[in-house]
Amino acid sequence: MKWTRTAGIYLVLGLGAAFTLAPFLLSILTAFKTREQFAGQSVLAWPDPFTVDNIARVLAGPAEFGRAVVVTLLAAVLILIGQLVCSILAAYAFARVDFRGRQVLFWVYLSTLMIPPVVLIIPLYLMMTQAGLRNSFWSLVLPFAFASPYAVFLLREYFRGIPQELIDAARLDGANTLDVLVEIVVPLSKPIIATLTLITIVSHWNSFMWPLVVTTGPQWRVVTVATASLQSQFNGNWTLVMAATTLALVPLLVLFLVFQRQFVRSITISGFK
Amino acid sequence: MASSRRRSHPGIRRRNTVTGYALLAPSLFGVVCFMLLPVLVVVWLSFQSWDLIGPISFVGLDNYRSVLSDGVFGNSLLVTILFVALVVPIQTLIGLGAASLLTRDLPGSGWFRTIYVLPWICAPLALGVVWKWILAPTDGALNTLVGARIEWLSDPALALPTVAAVVIWTNVGYVTLFFMAGLLNIPEQILEAARIDGAGPVALFWQIKIPLLRPTMFFVLVTTVISAFQVFDQVYALTQGGPAHTTDVVAARIYYEAFSAFDLGRAAVMAVVLLVILVVITLAQQLYFRRRVTYEMD
Repeated sequence: MKWTRTAGIYLVLGLGAAFTLAPFLLSILTAFKTREQFAGQSVLAWPDPFTVDNIARVLAGPAEFGRAVVVTLLAAVLILIGQLVCSILAAYAFARVDFRGRQVLFWVYLSTLMIPPVVLIIPLYLMMTQAGLRNSFWSLVLPFAFASPYAVFLLREYFRGIPQELIDAARLDGANTLDVLVEIVVPLSKPIIATLTLITIVSHWNSFMWPLVVTTGPQWRVVTVATASLQSQFNGNWTLVMAATTLALVPLLVLFLVFQRQFVRSITISGFK
Repeated sequence: MASSRRRSHPGIRRRNTVTGYALLAPSLFGVVCFMLLPVLVVVWLSFQSWDLIGPISFVGLDNYRSVLSDGVFGNSLLVTILFVALVVPIQTLIGLGAASLLTRDLPGSGWFRTIYVLPWICAPLALGVVWKWILAPTDGALNTLVGARIEWLSDPALALPTVAAVVIWTNVGYVTLFFMAGLLNIPEQILEAARIDGAGPVALFWQIKIPLLRPTMFFVLVTTVISAFQVFDQVYALTQGGPAHTTDVVAARIYYEAFSAFDLGRAAVMAVVLLVILVVITLAQQLYFRRRVTYEMD
């Protein structure tokens, strides 16, 4: 009786896993098929002949996917650096500096978490247009490179756990605030900084609505926008479209499998997205 | 704010204020310019008329009148509420079920957990495009495999449930993670005491575990309701709001109103309404469940 139960549980879990993985596997399989095989054989058939033509066409072709990958990574890295620097400074102020107005400002930071990103799209578009930055690389980066109230919260919580004696001791040795941050606070906060790095890179690799709105044409297209435009341009040419989705998905799958535990931890402590 | 609570000497406090604001400045610049100011701008824009190219002109309450009277936005609100009502309960139940199977110490549980989370971390737009093919009527993977010709995305009766299913598929792993953490946090002594009192596995689950999961349940419901309310990427990839506006969720409506119909004023009104709805939802949960949520976050 006991083993049938266990077998039943594994059956359910296995079916769930198959259902979860199927779209990924179908996308990858199809990306390496020729159009002839795609039209003639079952979708489950192994790619034969195995071709990288679709991938090559997507990367170099009219959608300029290769360029999009570079633009996306560059934007994500700049946003990450900006957010980390700004948020570490701000979080330290909130955690360890007793300044006038701290409570009120912290409350303001808290309240910004309620603002849905969708609501900001229209006014940011207007602001970027007025600033002459529409359809520029900086329009992808600027709105996100300074502030991340979420990062400030997570970092502040973490900083508050650092023993004050360590900071006081450094102070007695003549360290100023920046020395304390660089030599004590940041090295002791590596886990939370790693978490924020993962979250930021992943969410900006995946982000779609803002880049879709603020950029036009292939010049500053990010990966998601390039995927969407490829799909409307080559509607029905599924081997090509699946090559694009595979390129958009596989880097994250690899990243996820390498940093599995950190990812799972990051999601549970932050809620993510 | 516990740490440096001792009242500082006035001189030190003044110096602290300078240090505090110097540290805060870059981040505060971002919060003001790219979060607070845009909220003001969107409210201002909701009283203007703008077509992206021409000049911006004041039109008073015209946008509000037109948005609230023409039924398009009403339909979007209804569609969104229907969508949330489909997605949230179903993914919560599946996530709870998966979590209870994954917290039995069976070998391989970690791998299943990892697999279930995969869709959550990937780009919703790219996954939406993959599903667009899978669900395509003639050469889609699903129809060719089952040998049917079901119009998953173009039949007005099927489109919204289908989009909801894709979103549920994306979110289940996320929900599962939180319920797993919640279940693993239940002290073993409580379960042991209940077993000694004669509770079977079913009673244990419904009468002990579910009530103790309330903080987790609450957190999951609030975050998933708020995110489902803003769904855009999957809708853009799968249906673009169609057929016949049956999947025209609020976020998609705002986008099309602004960048296909070029009526930024109307789009701004919709954004303001969405902001109010989501702030009310968030504040309601903050007020009523403050203690439970802090307990959960700690």
